Amino acid sequence: MRYSRLKIIFPIGLFLALFLDGSLSNAFAGHLFKYPYSSVLHLVLLWIVFAIFLDDRGELPVGLWAAFAGLIFDWYYTGVFGVYLVALPLVVYISRQIKPWLDLNFLTMLMVYIINLTIVEAFVYIWYLIGKVITSNLADFAVYTLGPTIAVNLALFVILYYPVRQLYLKVS
Amino acid sequence: MQKFFSNRKLVIVIIVLIVSLGLMSVSVAIRNKKSTPPLIQQFGNDVVGAVDRVVAWPVNGLQGASNSVSDLLNTYQENQKLKKQVDQLAQVKVNAQTATAENKQLRKELKLNKSLSDYTAVTANVLTRTPSSWMNQLVISKGATAGIKKNMPVMSQSGLIGRVVEVNQTNSKVELISNTSSSADKFAIQVTNKSGSTVNGIVTGYDKSTNLIEMGSVTSKTKIEKGDKVVTSGLGGVTPKGLYVGTVASVKQDDYGLASEVRITPAADLSDLTVVTVAVK
Repeated sequence: MRYSRLKIIFPIGLFLALFLDGSLSNAFAGHLFKYPYSSVLHLVLLWIVFAIFLDDRGELPVGLWAAFAGLIFDWYYTGVFGVYLVALPLVVYISRQIKPWLDLNFLTMLMVYIINLTIVEAFVYIWYLIGKVITSNLADFAVYTLGPTIAVNLALFVILYYPVRQLYLKVS
Repeated sequence: MQKFFSNRKLVIVIIVLIVSLGLMSVSVAIRNKKSTPPLIQQFGNDVVGAVDRVVAWPVNGLQGASNSVSDLLNTYQENQKLKKQVDQLAQVKVNAQTATAENKQLRKELKLNKSLSDYTAVTANVLTRTPSSWMNQLVISKGATAGIKKNMPVMSQSGLIGRVVEVNQTNSKVELISNTSSSADKFAIQVTNKSGSTVNGIVTGYDKSTNLIEMGSVTSKTKIEKGDKVVTSGLGGVTPKGLYVGTVASVKQDDYGLASEVRITPAADLSDLTVVTVAVK
């Protein structure tokens, strides 16, 4: 009975994160996209990683929801389909594979989150490069996008880890 | 690793890759057509946009509040500065009104009903910004129902910021002028120098490191100086004439020494946008 609450809270949080990504990017555009650095907010990814690792029964259909969120992202934010639609479920799949091998605590989750951030950013970068949506070289991507993105999102992870964990412990 | 490359999984991976690349190439291919986005895509955008308003509203409210606090802190200095400007402005305003009236009358006599500089301003809120380092895009809260069409220019209070790239019924996407993707098509602009002669050209790029707009391949011998005003020229397409772009920052020879390149300081701040105006022609 109590478990079903998570099934409602998870999608709501997912879409809240999706829209906050965009709104906060606009509100703090001067800080986040200050040349030459551009740091991309990944609250959606954060929420997905939390769900995979904190939901101990693994009954949430995270993969499906991630694909749906990715579709909405492509649809509403970029207009280029098939990029986040694949990137987010890919991260879910990889995290699920890693999960049984890990002793779950703050630090291992942090490491997994860094890996996932890198995968998503690299995937999106390569895909856009193939689709000729962008022209940028690998060094610029690594230094000016990936680095700051990881820095900002790690800070958010550290701030949000305990509150979200409390939420999960309470709900499930 | 061996398990990963079992037949079934490999097939799934390949199918997913093909579908994903296919979707991407199709959407990139149809993105630049005039009739895009297709109805279904518009519908989805409208639905998501409606939901987004619920989230965007409090965030914009917070941003507005923090802006007001910082405004309040410099009120005194700003007030002093503004008072000086207001005195001059009154005179300029009267001048402009007289000129506009005269202009209208003269045009009527010449039977020129429409001119390049005519447009109606549609004001829209900025709902969100694409959280990506690759696309400098905004979603604004007005769409086809407010008369917005694809490729229309978008301004902030102070100057040109970009153009509309995707129109839905109730919201639309704006590509900022700082977007350097190769597919972004460029604005026709003109520089007017102190003696009143003009130089036409197009925006050829955006230098992110200095935040300057570039106008390349200028072969005219007309002398352009720092501080000259740059406006849209209204040539070719839906951009009206006379939208303020910025002022000239520097002029230099290009790499081959044949043409010169004009660098322009944009009048608008591209990182602090809450309300924008679309120039509907």
